[in-house]
Amino acid sequence: MINTNAFQVLSQLAPEYKKTHLKTLFSDGNPRFDEFHIHIPGMLYDFSKQKVDHKIIDNLLQMADEMQLSEWIEKLFKGEKINTSEGRAAWHTALRDIENPLPEVSEQWTKMETIVNELHNRQLRGYEGSPITDVVNIGVGGSDLGPLMVTHALEMQKHPKAPHLHFVSTLDARQLEQLLVELNPATTIFVVASKSFTTIDTLSLADTAKFWIQQSTDCPRALQHHFIGISANPAKMTEWGIAENLQLNFWDWVGGRYSMWSSIGLTIALELGMEGFKSLLAGAYAMDTHFRTAPFKENIPVMVGLIGVWNTNFLDLSGQAILPYDSRLKYFASYLEQLEMESNGKHVRRNGEKTSYRTCPILWGEVGPNAQHAFYQLLHQGTERVMADFILFIHGQTKNERGQFHHNLNIANCLAQSRAMMVGQDSEDPNKVYPGDQVSNTILLNEVDAYQLGMLVALYEHKVFVQSVMWDINPFDQWGVELGKKIALDILNRIQTCDSEGLDSSTVGILKTIWKDNNEC
Amino acid sequence: MNVNVFGSNISAMVCAACLAETGNQVTLVGQPKTGSPEPGLSKLIGEQTASGRLNISSDYDLEADVHILSLSADKDKKALEIAERLSDSANPDHCLIIRSNLDLKTIQEIERKANMPVIVNPDFTAEGQAISGFQKPDRIIVGSDDEKALKRFKLLFAPFNRNRDIFIQMTPQAAVLTKYATNVLIATRISLMNELARVAESTHADIEEIRQGLGSDKRIGFTYLYPGIGFGGVHLSRDLQRMQKLLDKSGSQQGLLKTVYDINQQQKELLFRKAWQHYRCELDGRHIAMWGVTYKPNSSVIKEAPSLTLIEAFIHQGCHLHLYDPNLGSSFHNWVNKTFDAAQQARIHIHLDMYEAIRNTDALCVTTEAKLFWSPDLKRLKENMNVPMILDGRNIYDKQWMEEEGMIYYGVGR
Repeated sequence: MINTNAFQVLSQLAPEYKKTHLKTLFSDGNPRFDEFHIHIPGMLYDFSKQKVDHKIIDNLLQMADEMQLSEWIEKLFKGEKINTSEGRAAWHTALRDIENPLPEVSEQWTKMETIVNELHNRQLRGYEGSPITDVVNIGVGGSDLGPLMVTHALEMQKHPKAPHLHFVSTLDARQLEQLLVELNPATTIFVVASKSFTTIDTLSLADTAKFWIQQSTDCPRALQHHFIGISANPAKMTEWGIAENLQLNFWDWVGGRYSMWSSIGLTIALELGMEGFKSLLAGAYAMDTHFRTAPFKENIPVMVGLIGVWNTNFLDLSGQAILPYDSRLKYFASYLEQLEMESNGKHVRRNGEKTSYRTCPILWGEVGPNAQHAFYQLLHQGTERVMADFILFIHGQTKNERGQFHHNLNIANCLAQSRAMMVGQDSEDPNKVYPGDQVSNTILLNEVDAYQLGMLVALYEHKVFVQSVMWDINPFDQWGVELGKKIALDILNRIQTCDSEGLDSSTVGILKTIWKDNNEC
Repeated sequence: MNVNVFGSNISAMVCAACLAETGNQVTLVGQPKTGSPEPGLSKLIGEQTASGRLNISSDYDLEADVHILSLSADKDKKALEIAERLSDSANPDHCLIIRSNLDLKTIQEIERKANMPVIVNPDFTAEGQAISGFQKPDRIIVGSDDEKALKRFKLLFAPFNRNRDIFIQMTPQAAVLTKYATNVLIATRISLMNELARVAESTHADIEEIRQGLGSDKRIGFTYLYPGIGFGGVHLSRDLQRMQKLLDKSGSQQGLLKTVYDINQQQKELLFRKAWQHYRCELDGRHIAMWGVTYKPNSSVIKEAPSLTLIEAFIHQGCHLHLYDPNLGSSFHNWVNKTFDAAQQARIHIHLDMYEAIRNTDALCVTTEAKLFWSPDLKRLKENMNVPMILDGRNIYDKQWMEEEGMIYYGVGR
């Protein structure tokens, strides 16, 4: 990136833009919105509250060309092995190509549909022969966050026959233990979702669930009726004891954090029905088509990505807040934390060289109206210069008078905050000075439904991809998470054998305190 | 008297025929099906039509001064239309008797529109005993505020009130609620017995013994004290829902009747659960025989029959079904077509002989207490079944006898 001509030009322009206060761009009634927004069916992207003008945008687009963004997009959509460090494609777009689906993808849809319909019709049976009423999703990372985020967001639109859904992910098993107290083993089924089917976090929880079922019945085949497996490793599922008809597959070309579009989305389909799940795919497919075909200047994921690069690498902004103004998107920020930081939180370029520039910013967020009473203080008066994405919906959920009032209140707050962050306020009392000058995007969608949510998530996936191309990094691996796993296995082994020999004094000190308290070792 | 009876169901046919038999000139306005499985009904209709006192027509008798609505319970709209039509030529000397189990709101609207006195006279007779139920009822509920109409009603029904006076007079809304409440109470007793059966089973007691002890308490009595695989048909569940709605409206936060309904739904699957547990959670490819499909003996009605729930459950687990029921009609075939795909349908076999149905099967489910199921030829069962197992959904067999004869026996609550 730094070797492109556009980078040089943008570097020279940047200091001037850093100094310019954002509000001055709007002075004299400048109709910036007209020039700096993109409107596609179902979605409006307003970037007029960014420190950009046509000169900056032209150069960002020039940089995208120099970094061969078009070619990379084609590679992505054609399923080329662009996850080079693992020798795999990253073909999540194929999972939602509802017009020309791959045969293996449709085959899984059919299998999912059978499971969904059997469960909805109360014909999936537990060991007593009673219908399954509760579904517990056991998964971590991509096998947890996507389905959790979507099912939470769309709970109000759930299918009338949907089972009760529960999610457990943490390997400390507290969530699971709590659930097992409340649930009836005879009517509970577990969805064990793990790409490799070897992840200790997931498998340790699955084993605890298995033990719970086995303790409740002496029926030798009970496990075959209480566990659904979703994995890219069918042999491991069979070995663990999952019945063939309750095994769903996906493939090594589906990354964990891009997997909710695959059979990992089973819990979504259980909540919404298969039709609802397909609607989610359709929304993502609409965004895919837009991303692949729209000119970059009118291409929402491209522009969101490039403006993010401008903010990070030229204006030196260092945090990215995600602020959805709808409480149903409670888990959306967590979802994006994984999507963005696990994808682009890297310091090595595709050729193995260390980058000489910053990459993914720290990203965090919360439902807007709640965040207003938490970290907005820092956004308004702190010393950090950050960027924010406001996500807003035209329609609320309820159409009655009170519902409309609350929704208007919500819209007013969203618009007020992005404006306050932009213009700030002067005061003689230093405590009441608001510097303003904080840039933001606003993404406006019609309403919270499966289709729109599909569009929104796909937008961020492609934004991540655009930025990875600019930064010349592979967004589809995650070697960073391996080291900790390896050390954890070593320490677990040491705990079991009471051996702290050779560990650093901090680790030894903490372990010995724990052992002493337990009268162990 | 000249009487119009509106309706095409068994209740309407029985009412029209019985009133004709007692000397009235009756027009049955409807299209009743011939060959009703109701015992004695075809014969009675034939006799009364031949006598000239019963006329079956699509038009009503303009001379009639008593009109009886005996439509099926979901025909609220049609009942209103008829009342409106009659109101044009009605006069205060006429009267409209509602025997249909309609929505309370519908009845109140009919009262407003009829232009003649309205009497609510709910039909309490059960299918299978409809004629004797009409001729010798326990009580005749008469809901009306109009003295003149009441007098006329009592004259018309006098032949069925001879032994002792069984007319119970009340307001129309009380009469409607009495009907609902009767069904609701029956349903509640059944579901309660089924819950008790579950407790009996888990504590190794026999619910039959408990039933004997309970029923002989005069405050309780023996009726509707049988545990089983749930009530079918539409009457009880409809009135449960109606009453629950009225309860909700009244501000009650309790879901008693919803629970009664839910227990019944679960109970319908009981024999499936027993087979499932017997075969250790694996029924794929098993052959299951079933005696009785309609919701009760001597009826061709299959709506909400426990057998349907059972058939669905077995089919979804990959079983083949072998059915025997002498009253199986087109409604069952329609249900099969609507419910199952072709591959599933191919696993449903209907037999014309009850012992043909059990050949090479792994279990026999008995779902109704039809007389011809009471004394099965156990030798034939043992010789011809793959596994000699009986799942007795109505507790009609002696458990000990079955087991002594070498049958594997599962009942309800024992």
